Amino acid sequence: MFGLGILKGMGITLKRFWMPKITERYPEVMPDLPQRSKGSFTFNVDTCTSCELCSMACPNGVIKVEWHKDEAGKKRLDRYRMNLGHCLFCGLCVEACPTKPQTTIAFQGDFELGCWMKQDIYRNWTKEYPAAPAGVSASQPDATQAAPKGE
Amino acid sequence: MVDFLTALFNFWQGFWGVPKTSLAEALPWMDILWAFVYLIGAFVLWAVNVIILIWLERRVAGFFSERVGPNRVGPLGLLQPINDAIKILSKESVIPQAADKFIYMAAPLLIMTISVTMYGLLPYGPGIRPISLNVGILFFLAVSSTTTIAVLMAGWGSNNKYSLLGGMRTVAQIISYEIPMALSIIGIVMLSGSLDLGAITDAQKNLWNIVLQPIAFVIFVISAQAELTRSPFDMTEAEQEFVAGYHTEYMGMRFALFFMAEYANLFAMAALGVILFLGGSNGPFLPGWIWFILKTYAFIMFLLWIRWTLLRIRVNRMMMLNWKVLIPISLVNLLLTGVGIKLWQYFTEGRV
Repeated sequence: MFGLGILKGMGITLKRFWMPKITERYPEVMPDLPQRSKGSFTFNVDTCTSCELCSMACPNGVIKVEWHKDEAGKKRLDRYRMNLGHCLFCGLCVEACPTKPQTTIAFQGDFELGCWMKQDIYRNWTKEYPAAPAGVSASQPDATQAAPKGE
Repeated sequence: MVDFLTALFNFWQGFWGVPKTSLAEALPWMDILWAFVYLIGAFVLWAVNVIILIWLERRVAGFFSERVGPNRVGPLGLLQPINDAIKILSKESVIPQAADKFIYMAAPLLIMTISVTMYGLLPYGPGIRPISLNVGILFFLAVSSTTTIAVLMAGWGSNNKYSLLGGMRTVAQIISYEIPMALSIIGIVMLSGSLDLGAITDAQKNLWNIVLQPIAFVIFVISAQAELTRSPFDMTEAEQEFVAGYHTEYMGMRFALFFMAEYANLFAMAALGVILFLGGSNGPFLPGWIWFILKTYAFIMFLLWIRWTLLRIRVNRMMMLNWKVLIPISLVNLLLTGVGIKLWQYFTEGRV
């Protein structure tokens, strides 16, 4: 019938009128994002093998891994540093990480990354070692370093 | 002074449904005074309706598309239009160098004058009428079609191709759709036997005209939407084709006058529809003017619902709908109304 489409369309809009709104009321109501949505990063200092595959996978040189060798010649992590100002959040570092299934570097849902100071844009994770015998202390991470952020 | 206060008291009594006074009963020296009072009343109603309608339009548009609409300024975003008004008042109003300055500046004033005049003609309730004309509906249609001139003035005076094209389209559209609208209204005039808007309201005490004239109502809604140049007939302001139509070159308060006149005309047109088809201020329990406002806003919601559902149609199809569909149907409707009235008279009163 002529004009039936108009009635159908008006029925659809009338239904939409009463439906719950899809607008996110963001500052008042926080969005319910999935655990691993691409917001900021988590890093697990205990599982990192200092292989630097993430650093090599990164297209922008965001990641810097600092490490030392222990007595057995094994790599030990000192500090893991990310410059989020250059980060694309492409996730190639997460894909490259060999510690599966739970990768050492992983995404978390926290997306509020704005900051006032430029130094706040860095993410630092420092591994603390138990007090070592004398002679090795030179390679210990500096105790005066900034406290780990983003955790 | 006592006379004036009595008349003022009687006027306000009109709001509670007791018809007392009109311009004809006033003393001679009070005519001019009352004219000012009515002018201010009509203007206040105009401004308040514009503020409410701008908020309502944006809010309803949001709701129809699953959004929230303005919700930051004040409770439910109700102060948003005031915020906009302050913003637009503080803007610079530049006159383009190539514009025809007198016409350019006169057009927004003219369009506002026209829409305030339309507010003066409506019977808001029993006894509440700024101007009581016995050819009210004719005068209303005449005044509302004067909008065309203001729009063409704006289009011509801006000296801009988009403005001129928008103005031309508006003229073609509004003048074309005047015809089915007037033809649909003639049926009502035949039924109520008067051109007076108050008499048309009184004739619907028992039965609303929409029951007797459903086809005319549909034609009225379509042509009202076209007269107001709202979607699906918003070619005059089609953003994709010419920037904003006839008010492309306007800014600041001059633009705001066009914008407000558009919304004011929406209320006036909806009020006309309520008076003609939905019984005007007739209704049980509540005072007449409350019924009038309620019905008008319900009708406005219906028009907004149409506006935010339908898409813009093509210009030639818009004209085809008018000349090949609406006008023949309204003429047939007129014929059927005449035959119906004669048959009714024959069977009830025994005369032809």
